[in-house]
Amino acid sequence: MKFRCEREILADVLATASRGATNSGGTSPVLSGVRLDVADGVLTVTGTDLELTIRASVPVGSDSTGSAVVPARLTADIVKSLPAGSVEVELTDEQMMIRAQRSEFSVRPLALADYPTLGEPSTEPFTVPAADMADALRQVVRAASPDEGRVVLTGVLIAADDDGVKLAATDSYRLAVRDLPQGSLMRSGDQVLVPARALNEVQRLLGSAEEMRVHLGELDAVFEIGDVRITTRLIKGDYPNYRNLIPASYPNTVTVGRDALLEALRRVRILAQGTTPVRLLLGADQLQLSAITTDVGEASEHLDASYSGDEMTVAFNPEYLAAGVDAVAGDEVVIAVIDPMKPAVLRGAGHDEYLYLLMPVRVP
Amino acid sequence: MTGAGEPRVILHVDMDAFYVSVELLRRPELIGLPVVVGGDGNRGVVAAASYEARRHGVHSAMASVTARRRCPDAVFLPADHQRYAEVSAQVRAVFDSVSPHVEPLALDEAFLDVTGARALLGEPIEIATLVRSRVADEVGLGCSVGVASNKFVAKLASVEAKPIAAADGVRPGRGVVIVAPGDEASFVAGLPVERLWGVGPKTLARLHDIGIRRVPDIVEAPPGLLEARIGAAAGAHLRRLALGIDDRPVETDRTAKSIGQEETFGSDVADLDAARAELVRLADAVAARLRTSTLAARTVTLKVKFADFQTVTRSVTEGAPLDTAVEIVTRLEPALAEVVSRGALRLLGVSASNLVEPVRQLDLWSSGTDQPAHDSADRALDEIRARFGRSSIGRASGLKPRTR
Repeated sequence: MKFRCEREILADVLATASRGATNSGGTSPVLSGVRLDVADGVLTVTGTDLELTIRASVPVGSDSTGSAVVPARLTADIVKSLPAGSVEVELTDEQMMIRAQRSEFSVRPLALADYPTLGEPSTEPFTVPAADMADALRQVVRAASPDEGRVVLTGVLIAADDDGVKLAATDSYRLAVRDLPQGSLMRSGDQVLVPARALNEVQRLLGSAEEMRVHLGELDAVFEIGDVRITTRLIKGDYPNYRNLIPASYPNTVTVGRDALLEALRRVRILAQGTTPVRLLLGADQLQLSAITTDVGEASEHLDASYSGDEMTVAFNPEYLAAGVDAVAGDEVVIAVIDPMKPAVLRGAGHDEYLYLLMPVRVP
Repeated sequence: MTGAGEPRVILHVDMDAFYVSVELLRRPELIGLPVVVGGDGNRGVVAAASYEARRHGVHSAMASVTARRRCPDAVFLPADHQRYAEVSAQVRAVFDSVSPHVEPLALDEAFLDVTGARALLGEPIEIATLVRSRVADEVGLGCSVGVASNKFVAKLASVEAKPIAAADGVRPGRGVVIVAPGDEASFVAGLPVERLWGVGPKTLARLHDIGIRRVPDIVEAPPGLLEARIGAAAGAHLRRLALGIDDRPVETDRTAKSIGQEETFGSDVADLDAARAELVRLADAVAARLRTSTLAARTVTLKVKFADFQTVTRSVTEGAPLDTAVEIVTRLEPALAEVVSRGALRLLGVSASNLVEPVRQLDLWSSGTDQPAHDSADRALDEIRARFGRSSIGRASGLKPRTR
């Protein structure tokens, strides 16, 4: 089997599929490779760790048909480093030759027979506009837990009811919830728990696409964006009930410029080392941020803000707070607080479709 | 701080049979009986014994089985560390009202530098008596006070003030023992050398080798002899202590870089359960001091000295800052199991360092409850179970005094 492709294009599909082949050093050496399939003038590159599979296709110059598994990282690195222009790849059972201008590499392939068989999606796809979904994922995925010890929280809940579709993620310290208008994504009452890791990959690809096709199965979800297909296992288990966490009313709300707050937080965080929280002092038409790290120093920032409520100090993990402020839409962020021990809510002013609920840090 | 020429006034306050006395506050019917706090199972360890029980040779860190054999009539009570920490905080409040310079050593003892309090509160004897009567009135507990110009002598003096558990009965102690400035050396001279700080069995044997048995022998030892036998630094240190000299300041936890607690055992500990019980007790004291000082530790360290005097430390720095005994025990338990497997322990120590504000990221699913109280109730339960086994907590409420 032999094919020809522009270096830029080949490097791109290899890089995309390699992001699925993360099982380096795992039990099955073949999973550290990407599978190459050529047929009818199309090259398909597949990387998988059995949980997440990324498949990317691209037209190439070829009249042959064949398959092989080659080392993912090595092949991607070689192709990326070649001079711009046409690259020729020739595969036999013993070796893969990569040639471009006066460069020539030979790489030993992995065992094709050991590569797992990956199924095709069995359900009919729904089509959703890419921009809506990209925005929603950007806002929600960040709140999922990275802790594999709590598998359910590593997922994003996508659930449909009569009002529309809700995306929700929480790591038990914060919760992000985004409403999407009811489209054709799911039937009311349906819900799936999709690993945040897969949705991060989806998000990366959505920027350049117009629309996305989604297949939701019993065990898997498949996202098709252009010529890339991402297949992920769904997470089994009961997602915690988050709806009753969202307080009905807030006696204290502060409205402040989103960019100004982000800038101030960025500066204060320089002194919020280790586990040091950032304290928000809420008072009449002012928001003061401060961080004190013992034996190191302290930082404080004053921001113009409109505030209604009791004067109080609430402390937060600065990273979580910044992630929330960054996620909301619009120029102004509204922070609503009950007391220093209860969850606070962040919203974009006039953007009720998204909320970011954040538990404070208890300080002495 | 005081001027160079003016002697300091240091109090060492030591609660009398603290755990037991706290229990007797709520079980007055047991007063006068031998009472043992600790696990009474086969593998239990004595955490504290009343003076009546001590008359029968029962002491802390002894296997409960042995205690039961020596004193079959003793009433065994499970330890309630949460309660001891609470009462300790009440005692601490009395200390804090007397002087801003309080250095807690454990839940049941502390140094107070009262040099600056004399103008307000009177002579050292008056201050010491005031502390005793206020602890008795406000907390309902007895304590013994040693007064001297330094920490070392004050701590020795408080021992002389203690109640006496003799074979024929328990006699009240002197309550307050004062070593006047200038009398430090003669006070120390009357004590056995092993009472000097840093003199363990190994050093003691070396001192005996060169004919030193009494404290004055150290002072009179020819220059170089002592140092050649036990090392230059240790020799110089012993000569100063033998003269009753100790310049260490009373250090409050708030200003300390670390908070630690260690225990040298009466007999070497080879059993993991017994070592674990000691770890819990030390962690409990360190955690209580952290909370009293509004501090939390990012690093906790286990220190052990083996029977052959080899010293080993193991530190753990991870996760959120901690200030509870359960968290300290959880972090240090693996290291303890490892060292106990290597040999019998002569000393065990726990210290907390990398001290920061005790901040805690709250959890969405715990909101609405009074989280700290909720935590500590759980922790109290965990601690009792961690120390005495899961079944102990069931027995506690149904426990009947064994008064024959």
